Amino acid sequence: MSNKNTINSMNNSGGLKTVIDLDQIWGDLNCGIKQVYNRESMSKKRYIELYTHVYNYCTSVHQHNNGRGCSNTTKNKKSQVAGGAQLVGMELYKRLKEFLKNYLIRLLEDGLHRMDEDVLKFYTVQWEDYQFCSKVLDGVCAYLNRHWVKRECEEGRKYVYEIYQLALVTWRDNLFKQLNKPVTNAVLKLIEKERNGETINTRLVSGVINCYVELGLNEEEPGAKGPNLSVYKESFENMFLEDTERFYTRESSAFLAENPVTEYMKRAEQRLLEEQRRVQMYLHETTSERLAKTCEKVLIQKHLELLHSEFKQLLDADKDDDLGRMYSLVARIPDGLGELRGLLEQHIATQGLAAIEKCGEAAHNDPKIYVNTILEVHKKYNALVLVAFGNDSGFVAALDKACGRFINTNAVTKSANSSSRSPELLAKYCDLLLKKSNKNAEEAELEDTLNQVMVVFKYIEDKDVFQKFYSKMLAKRLVQHMSASDDAEASMISKLKQACGFEYTSKLQRMFQDIGVSKDLNEQFRNHLTSYNDTLGIDFSIQVLSSGSWPFQQSFTFGLPSELERSVSRFTNFYSSQHSGRKLNWLYNMSKGELNTNCFKNRYTLQASTFQMAVLLQFNVADSWTVAQLEENTQIKPDFLIQVIQILLKAKLLNCKDDESDVTINSLVYLNLGFKNKKLRVNINIPMKTELKLEQETTHKHIEEDRKLLIQAAIVRIMKMRKVHQHQQLVAEVLNQLSSRFKPRVQTIKKCIDILIEKEYLERTEGQKDEYKYLA
Amino acid sequence: MFTKVAMADENDNERMDGDNQKLEKMFTLKKWNAVAMWSWDVECDTCAICRVQVMDACLRCQAESKKDSYGKQDCVVVWGECNHSFHYCCMSLWVKQNNRCPLCQQEWSIQRMGK
Repeated sequence: MSNKNTINSMNNSGGLKTVIDLDQIWGDLNCGIKQVYNRESMSKKRYIELYTHVYNYCTSVHQHNNGRGCSNTTKNKKSQVAGGAQLVGMELYKRLKEFLKNYLIRLLEDGLHRMDEDVLKFYTVQWEDYQFCSKVLDGVCAYLNRHWVKRECEEGRKYVYEIYQLALVTWRDNLFKQLNKPVTNAVLKLIEKERNGETINTRLVSGVINCYVELGLNEEEPGAKGPNLSVYKESFENMFLEDTERFYTRESSAFLAENPVTEYMKRAEQRLLEEQRRVQMYLHETTSERLAKTCEKVLIQKHLELLHSEFKQLLDADKDDDLGRMYSLVARIPDGLGELRGLLEQHIATQGLAAIEKCGEAAHNDPKIYVNTILEVHKKYNALVLVAFGNDSGFVAALDKACGRFINTNAVTKSANSSSRSPELLAKYCDLLLKKSNKNAEEAELEDTLNQVMVVFKYIEDKDVFQKFYSKMLAKRLVQHMSASDDAEASMISKLKQACGFEYTSKLQRMFQDIGVSKDLNEQFRNHLTSYNDTLGIDFSIQVLSSGSWPFQQSFTFGLPSELERSVSRFTNFYSSQHSGRKLNWLYNMSKGELNTNCFKNRYTLQASTFQMAVLLQFNVADSWTVAQLEENTQIKPDFLIQVIQILLKAKLLNCKDDESDVTINSLVYLNLGFKNKKLRVNINIPMKTELKLEQETTHKHIEEDRKLLIQAAIVRIMKMRKVHQHQQLVAEVLNQLSSRFKPRVQTIKKCIDILIEKEYLERTEGQKDEYKYLA
Repeated sequence: MFTKVAMADENDNERMDGDNQKLEKMFTLKKWNAVAMWSWDVECDTCAICRVQVMDACLRCQAESKKDSYGKQDCVVVWGECNHSFHYCCMSLWVKQNNRCPLCQQEWSIQRMGK
């Protein structure tokens, strides 16, 4: 009914003014509000009645309260409507506030004497009720909120809130202020109980936390949405974190006193997880980060030294699980891992050195043992880094650094007195893998092993040394048809190309091509002979290599046996008909052949070097020669010839009165007609000692020479760009440019700078110490 | 003096070597695997234009034909009537500016090309 009245009064708002006094409605409204806070059930109709009371009150015009609003009504229709609802509400607001205050004071009396869980139960239950009822009240007073409160706030009046907010503020001022200490304490006690393993009623905690969060009102900006958490932080979070720190400080020290570090780490890990869950279960999500920080500080950072010292022991004992745990714990601490990385690097390097040392003599000369020893260490720690340390880039770098250290400098390189021993052995290992033998691996397996080789290769500092030895051995394999598989050879070359670029492998590739070209060439030559109905009388084949790509010495002096002349001349003619402008240089020391014997009891086939063949063929003419005569006939240099003869003596093909080691230019050698051998095919072509030694020496010498050129080239490149440069920086840049190939010695760089000054590429800047100028 | 053990099939070989006496030989050549190295028949093995060895591809070709592994075959040598030799690639660029040999200033004409 009254609802209708109001609408009527609104419609007649022009002149008619219905005045509704607060006392007229307060009686019933108060009654209704009490009904709400007593949580009695309420019909919709009753709710509307209460709403209408507020509405009626707020829309009535109180002339004596506000003259200005009235005078406006006639002039301006807009302000009339606003003015009509303008300032009516103050009294009602005051009474509501009073009501809430009284309600809470009564409530407080009931709560004050309570403690611990009791106070929690009381607080949470009351809070939930109060919160709910206040929301209902807020709904009842919606009109007041929308108009009077809104206007008040807009006019900048402080301490006027929407009714629900008012309820919260009142709760905060009356109940929370008195009870928050015991409540918070009780919550903290409960949490401690739970940390000690008891089951608690988490509803109690979450109830309190919800209340604290809700109470964080934005009083400065009533319009702002959501709580600002100030109450939660001040009255709970700070204390909770202090409590946490205290608890875990005590617990971790106590635990460590009685348990090993490995157990402690499990505990810490579990505790961190628990705390994370705690936040999810009943705390506000914003606490998560601060809580984690606090726990990490107390549980990990405080014991960091202990963890670091344990790390080494765990490494020694290969406790991968514990290492992984330690990693994940320490990784939480900013900059905590640096120390571990250092320790890991040191450990791997030590392990690597020890493993190589342990192999003893075997590793010095057996490339397989050497490389596999390195690979085992690498494999083990690579797995550790991958699994336990999550492939953390810092740890990968530590592994790489350590491997670089022990691969380039270890017992083997020290005893050889050169870091180039490592690349040499690695290249030899490749040779073992790629050379034809009775234990060649399957294709797939070989590919796998080659990949492993590349792992070690990556760490080799002197990649140029590897290149030298590799190309030497590849050349031999190719020329002697000793490659186990062309595919594997090509695959290895492409791996090296990938690792070091085109230039690094261009010669290797060219060698590979030459062999293919030679195959075709032989075919063509044979066809050529057939078409002219010509034969050479021997089984002739040839490999023509391009000079400059092959690491072979130019040929020695040699008088070609007449038996071979025909083949050489026929082929030379053929070759120049195929190509123009080329000359052929015959490498007799690389050539070899087979001889049939007609003078012994059995008919043997001797596999011999060309020099051996030349010497033996002399015995077709006479049955004994002095060494000097042989020298004249074969043109082989005496010291070399003596070695050839020594091998023939050893093979018992020749005899000599002098002792094998005392053969001189004057010794007389004659054919041993009693030569015997179990096999009919006899290989007498064994490499000569001096030849091998010479080869090694020249290889090393070449490396030194090549390096000097590379260093000079690098210096010129840098100086051309900089024009003027400081000595120190120049050296640093040279080292940097060449690091992918080898590590030049500073001394050598200085020497190269001097050479370039002499060659007038550079000059010292006058009056400036240690500065160079580029001369264009 | 020497026992003759030569077999019938050896006779073929021996007939070929006209200047040796038949059946007397202690050793007969059966097989020869020769190895030879070819190089351009030049007086100076560095190309005076690009300063790279003539056996290697010239600078341009090295820079361009990295992918092509047979690229080197294409960078051949050329000889002038003056007998000076250069990379063909280098020389063909040179003659566009100056049709004289960079070494002796004689008029450039090609004597032969490498193949």
